[in-house]
Amino acid sequence: MTLDIEAIRADFPILSRTVAEGKDLVYLDNAATTQKPQSVIDAMTHYYEQSNANVHRAVHTLAAEATEQYEASRDTLAAWFGTTRDNLIFTSGTTEAINLVAWGWARSNLNAGDAILITEMEHHADIVPWQLLAEEKGIEIRVVPIDTESDTLDMEIFSASLPGARLVCVVHTSNVLGVANPVDEIIAQSHDAGAKVLIDAAQAAPHHRLDFTAMGADFVAISGHKMCGPTGIGCLLATSESIEEMEPFMSGGDMIETVTMEKSTFAQGPQKFEAGTPKIAEAIGFAAAAEYLSNFDMDAVHSHIRGLAMYVASELKSVPGITVYGDHSVAEGSGVVSFLHDSVHAEDLARFMDAGGFAMRTGHHCAQPLLDAYGVTSTNRVSFYLYNTNAEAKAFIEHLRYIVERFG
Amino acid sequence: MTWPQALQEAIDQFADVFDPMERYEMLFEWSSDVNELPVDEWNDANMIHGCQSQAHVMCHLEEGMFYMRGGADAQIVQGLMAITCLAVNGRPPEEVVEIEPTFVDEMGLKASLPPSTSNGYLNMFKRVQDEARLLMGDA
Repeated sequence: MTLDIEAIRADFPILSRTVAEGKDLVYLDNAATTQKPQSVIDAMTHYYEQSNANVHRAVHTLAAEATEQYEASRDTLAAWFGTTRDNLIFTSGTTEAINLVAWGWARSNLNAGDAILITEMEHHADIVPWQLLAEEKGIEIRVVPIDTESDTLDMEIFSASLPGARLVCVVHTSNVLGVANPVDEIIAQSHDAGAKVLIDAAQAAPHHRLDFTAMGADFVAISGHKMCGPTGIGCLLATSESIEEMEPFMSGGDMIETVTMEKSTFAQGPQKFEAGTPKIAEAIGFAAAAEYLSNFDMDAVHSHIRGLAMYVASELKSVPGITVYGDHSVAEGSGVVSFLHDSVHAEDLARFMDAGGFAMRTGHHCAQPLLDAYGVTSTNRVSFYLYNTNAEAKAFIEHLRYIVERFG
Repeated sequence: MTWPQALQEAIDQFADVFDPMERYEMLFEWSSDVNELPVDEWNDANMIHGCQSQAHVMCHLEEGMFYMRGGADAQIVQGLMAITCLAVNGRPPEEVVEIEPTFVDEMGLKASLPPSTSNGYLNMFKRVQDEARLLMGDA
């Protein structure tokens, strides 16, 4: 199935604006956050204009509508991610989802001497919570290194590190390299070794129709805003067994069954972990994003995005002085391309690109250990999504060549 | 405020340019005019925090007048430092702490550069004024 990219672009109002004194916006920072289609904006606006009320609390009409829409969003998203409503906990995003596993599951199920396996490829969100927990509980953290020649995790060290591990935390697709890890193998080996598995799918969910049940992971963390949804909403997918083993991470209203001045009992299922007034409009927007993506063949979406990344990576390699990070010769992976020029500073390059209308990212991408492994402190990064065009990719290369020739 | 002649010339030069790309190119070229702080003098104490690039500044008095030297690995940032040198060097530190960096507006930099650049610049300027404040005690 071929994507009609021009028709897709018409769904995203922001893509028609100009920047930098009248230049067409070329938005290539999609790994940070994607733009929002009109349908997502309309869904949130409609909720605020017509149904705004708090959920799960009152019997009036608006409260009933808000509750119905909020819970319908859970159903839509559960179906999109191949699971049931009882296995989808709304969070503020991937970071909160990982913290929920750390403080809701690991804190009450792991003890001093237990080990957690993480990798050098992780985003800080999948490193720092484990460091804090390890400090509190005396848990050992084992780190699987990356082989910087092949841009892949060292699976021999991974296998050798598994005995005794109770939890394995792995990023599905790197936000710096665009490399996809062998998650099926990682999950199978981890389960054989008796460890639970948490997959950080922040960069994978926008590309694939993830099927939580088929994947077999115990926990999957997802952000809505990287897949056309609003910011401030995401979810943790968790198996029923894992949810049973979890204790509340945050407490307050909406997550209780009964409260007396002496003791409280908690609601069951996802609600136990959704304390306080939830992100109602955001959940509705997140579901609208999944509905929007359901208009497309996600395999075609992935091929389009990955194709743009492969083209740009290949072209960049022919620009004198440019080093590209990550293996873009394989079909698996995302739309991310990280690179550095040997004499034009990453920040200068990004400013020159911005002045040409190109939005790209510069910095450590919240993955300092990974950049350390490559011996760099920052990279430039472009990341494509379904609305980016071949013409934009070509224009990006053309403008970059000009900058490098002029200032390199 | 009346600016030194060299800064006024720079203001006039920038004010005539409306394209952000051209402004960046000019700042890139200005980077070589900074009173340079060589890399081997960069350390944690003279680092300016809040910049994406590495930026360092050291200030001193010569016969009671304030002078800054600066260096950054990003040339555009170093170009902004060069402009700052024109504004502050050779003045009494008491004057430096009173300067409102309105020349950034006059040059059109604040309007045409994204907030990350102009805010980063204001961070740097505040650091220079903090240094001047410290040196006032030595004057």
